[in-house]
Amino acid sequence: MLEVRGLAKAFAGGPPLLDGLDLEVRRGEWVAIAGESGSGKSTLLNIVAGLDRPDRGEVRLDGRALDYSDDDALALWRRRHAGFVFQAFHLLPYLSVRDNVALPLALLGVSARERAARAGEALAGVGLGGFEGRRPASLSGGEMQRAAIARALVHKPALVLADEPTGNLDEANAAAVLDCLREAVKGAGAAALMVTHSRIAACAADRVLRLASGRLVAQAP
Amino acid sequence: MNARTLLLVARGTLAANGLRVALTLACIALGVALAGAVHTVHTSALAEVDRAAHALAGKADAEVRGPRNGFDDALFAAIARRPEVAVASPVIEVDAPLAGRDGALRIVGIDALRAVRLQPGFVLNSTATAAPQASSLVDADALWLTPRAAARLGAKAGDDIRVIAGTAALKLHVAGVLDALESAGDLGVMDIAAVQWRFFRVGSLTRIDLRLRPGVDLARFRAAVASLLPAGVTVSESASLSGRAAAVTRAYRVNLDALSLVALATGAFLVFSTLALQAARRRQEFALLRALGVTRRGLAALLVCEALALGVVGAAIGTALGLAGSRELLARIGTDLGAGFFGSSSAVFAPDPLALAAIAALGIGMSLAGALWVWRSVARIEVAEALRDRSLDLPLSTRAAAWTTVALAAAGVPLLFAPPVAGLPLGGYGAIALWFAASATCVAPLCRAVLGRIAPRDAPIAALALAQVRHLPGHLAASVAGIVVSASLCAAMAILVFSFRVSVEAWLDGVVRADLYVQPAAPGSDAFFSIEEQRRIAALAEVAKLEALRFDRIPLEGVAAPLTLVARPIDAGVLAGFQAEPRAMPERGAEIAVWMSEAARDLHGWRVGQRVEIPIAGKTEALRVAGVVRDFARTWGALLIPVDDYRRLTGDTRANNLAVFVAPGSDVTHAQAAIRRALPQAAALEFEDAAKLRHDSLDIFDRTFAVTYALEAIAVLIGLAGITSSFAALAWSRRREFGVLRFLGLTRGEVLRLLAMEGVATGTLGAAIGLASGALVSVVLVEVVNRQSFHWSLDVHWPVGSLATLAAAIVVACSAGARLSGAFAVRDEAVLAVKDDA
Repeated sequence: MLEVRGLAKAFAGGPPLLDGLDLEVRRGEWVAIAGESGSGKSTLLNIVAGLDRPDRGEVRLDGRALDYSDDDALALWRRRHAGFVFQAFHLLPYLSVRDNVALPLALLGVSARERAARAGEALAGVGLGGFEGRRPASLSGGEMQRAAIARALVHKPALVLADEPTGNLDEANAAAVLDCLREAVKGAGAAALMVTHSRIAACAADRVLRLASGRLVAQAP
Repeated sequence: MNARTLLLVARGTLAANGLRVALTLACIALGVALAGAVHTVHTSALAEVDRAAHALAGKADAEVRGPRNGFDDALFAAIARRPEVAVASPVIEVDAPLAGRDGALRIVGIDALRAVRLQPGFVLNSTATAAPQASSLVDADALWLTPRAAARLGAKAGDDIRVIAGTAALKLHVAGVLDALESAGDLGVMDIAAVQWRFFRVGSLTRIDLRLRPGVDLARFRAAVASLLPAGVTVSESASLSGRAAAVTRAYRVNLDALSLVALATGAFLVFSTLALQAARRRQEFALLRALGVTRRGLAALLVCEALALGVVGAAIGTALGLAGSRELLARIGTDLGAGFFGSSSAVFAPDPLALAAIAALGIGMSLAGALWVWRSVARIEVAEALRDRSLDLPLSTRAAAWTTVALAAAGVPLLFAPPVAGLPLGGYGAIALWFAASATCVAPLCRAVLGRIAPRDAPIAALALAQVRHLPGHLAASVAGIVVSASLCAAMAILVFSFRVSVEAWLDGVVRADLYVQPAAPGSDAFFSIEEQRRIAALAEVAKLEALRFDRIPLEGVAAPLTLVARPIDAGVLAGFQAEPRAMPERGAEIAVWMSEAARDLHGWRVGQRVEIPIAGKTEALRVAGVVRDFARTWGALLIPVDDYRRLTGDTRANNLAVFVAPGSDVTHAQAAIRRALPQAAALEFEDAAKLRHDSLDIFDRTFAVTYALEAIAVLIGLAGITSSFAALAWSRRREFGVLRFLGLTRGEVLRLLAMEGVATGTLGAAIGLASGALVSVVLVEVVNRQSFHWSLDVHWPVGSLATLAAAIVVACSAGARLSGAFAVRDEAVLAVKDDA
């Protein structure tokens, strides 16, 4: 379970973006964070991912607090426990689709044979069976994002973080990707946190929270 | 695109990449500066020789010149009596070693009353030659110095200077300083009879300066006096020394120019790399311009505009730096860049505007060529695709690059067989240039062929690094080209120099057979041992055997450089030492057997077994060429003749060098002491044992090549600067990718390791191609450029250690450069890169 307690963050010269923010996301639960531009959604996501440091407060995953003082430890924590889905997909153009998806496994030292098998399964899971040898540049936007979801979940992380996953997609593709993400998250039993502007995307989540004045308030789906 | 828009876009592009543009400018400027400085030092050296020769010749318009050891002065009367001659001035020149100090003084003996009619400077402004001291004009001990010589020796009127004549010290009285001979160089002037007497050259002249009567044609005069001239004596235009100096040093100068131009070519690859990488980053910009209606030609104009700006500014800065640098070099170390062809000091600064303009134009031209090469890729961009993707590479056809490589390499082959042009190996240079270009164009196809087969399955960082390098063949080709060319140059030069050094060492082992070598004074002077002195040494108990060596330089028709005649004992052992072909001593025949050096064979077209006619001691002698020998001591041709035959032909029993074989039971130290006791009057004997002679010879060899090492090092530095700047540019473009990798759990250290591995892969590829290309180019250097320029045959030897060090240095530098440049790119938080999601 993801637990965020009393999180506070302000950038130099600006008002507090996060101001004693609390949040809990259970395993298998998908929570969407909505809010206006500049409200601190991405900052929250980055802090939860261990890529930004809070001024105060703590983040725990399955009871263990993130140690923001050790950059390398945070990287290893992300490697083992987190999966990411970005707005712009960010597949590495010089790797095949299979190698992109298998990358988190490779970083964890999984054998080549097992990597290939698990990447194939993950791709099949998002409807991209047969796309293994393709290059990202040959995929459509929706296909690239589904491949990115496969990459985010292939190593069975406890936490999935998604930053505007449908921001670059049309409605049909967005809906397909959200379905895919939901199934994958539920299937993997991960805690999923998604920040989005999109009302449609937010509606796909189990719970929607709105970030305003540095705190989260519940919002009807 | 109109000119205004073109300039606007180009200016924006250049201004937006300030650091990289600055580095590129610096590299072009450095290349132009190097080539300009080296060339200017040499033109200044030649100008100095020219100025000195003309200053001494004065109003003379012709000269009669003979061998270094002189010709019979009876010729003077015959020439002076000729109706075509208005003024004739006899001259004898000797290089007198200074006693008690290093160096020598060139002393010109003149008949003042005649010489002054050609060069008033021999008396002008000199208080010493004014009436009250007029007797000193013919004083046998009086010496006048030019201002340059007076400054070097720290001498003034009234001082004494001790020089060596024969083997003994001779005290000369400085009668004055000839202020009007400021430009005549570093020399002393004496009465001709005094020089002949004091330096044991009675009856001998080395030159007669002539002023012909108005209307007399030199060619007709030459024909008219031909029958009067002894063999080996020629009539030429005055101050011919100047032209000869230019001719005999041309190959050396041009080779050094070519070497310095490689640094410029490496800089040009950096321009190409800069433009290519910028073009890759600007794919979308180019696509947008094309979408807005800019034609392919318009894009070419844009790239040309940018390259022109880089080339012109870089060349201008480089020319200024080259001029300043050469001026500084001339002031600090003089005109000698290590080979010893020119004197070490010079007051003349004589840049050659045309050559400097050509070097600058070459820099600009190379920049433009780089731009047009990049444009070929830019023109292939698919507009629609480029507008939506974020690829960092330019389209590059590896198949076309492979064929280009093959075509360039093949085009170089026939050039290897081209004969030299005016003594210059232009075909060899052409082949090297084509092969350098081929080594640059083969990077992309080789990258695909080699790296495609390497797939580290359980090393994700290494796999990522290799995948990245494979993925950007255009970028790789652009960034590695410079390092390939500079590594190739370095490897080729290392192989050449090593082969040369090993060959020279082997040759020295063969020719340095005696235990001890004795010279009457510093090498290269006119000091000598008389036959009486030779006998005294030979009779010493400490000496088992004595070999006398005598040298002369003989001018031959049609060849600028004189032939060196080396008179010495010759037997089978000597022939083996000189690596003669054939090795065996010939049967004694009617004609005297001589052995030609490889340079003599090439320059004069002689063959083994041929009968050649050589002017010796004023007579033409028919000699039989018995073989060809290696002679690394002389560049312009030598003939080995048995010393007994030489003495019989000339009556000259003097020796310039003595090779002493120490008697059993004695040693070198005792032999030296005994020789000193045997020649008590000898004031400046120079002894070298075999080990010291070898050591000193190799020291000279290393000094000669020191400047080439410096030029190579600069070329490599430029290449490394290029690859580092390429990595920096690419790393900056890949910040987003690094951000993604950080999200995926790579630590900063791992991202930097990834970059270092990319550097290793790139550096390894660059070093491997560079070394392979360098090995091929070295064969051209050894077999074509060296043979046609200097006429020495070398055995190829491989400096495995040096090449491995070079390769390792390149790989380490590339790796460090990539990691260093990446450190800046990953310094920003990854989130900032990932947020850049537009």
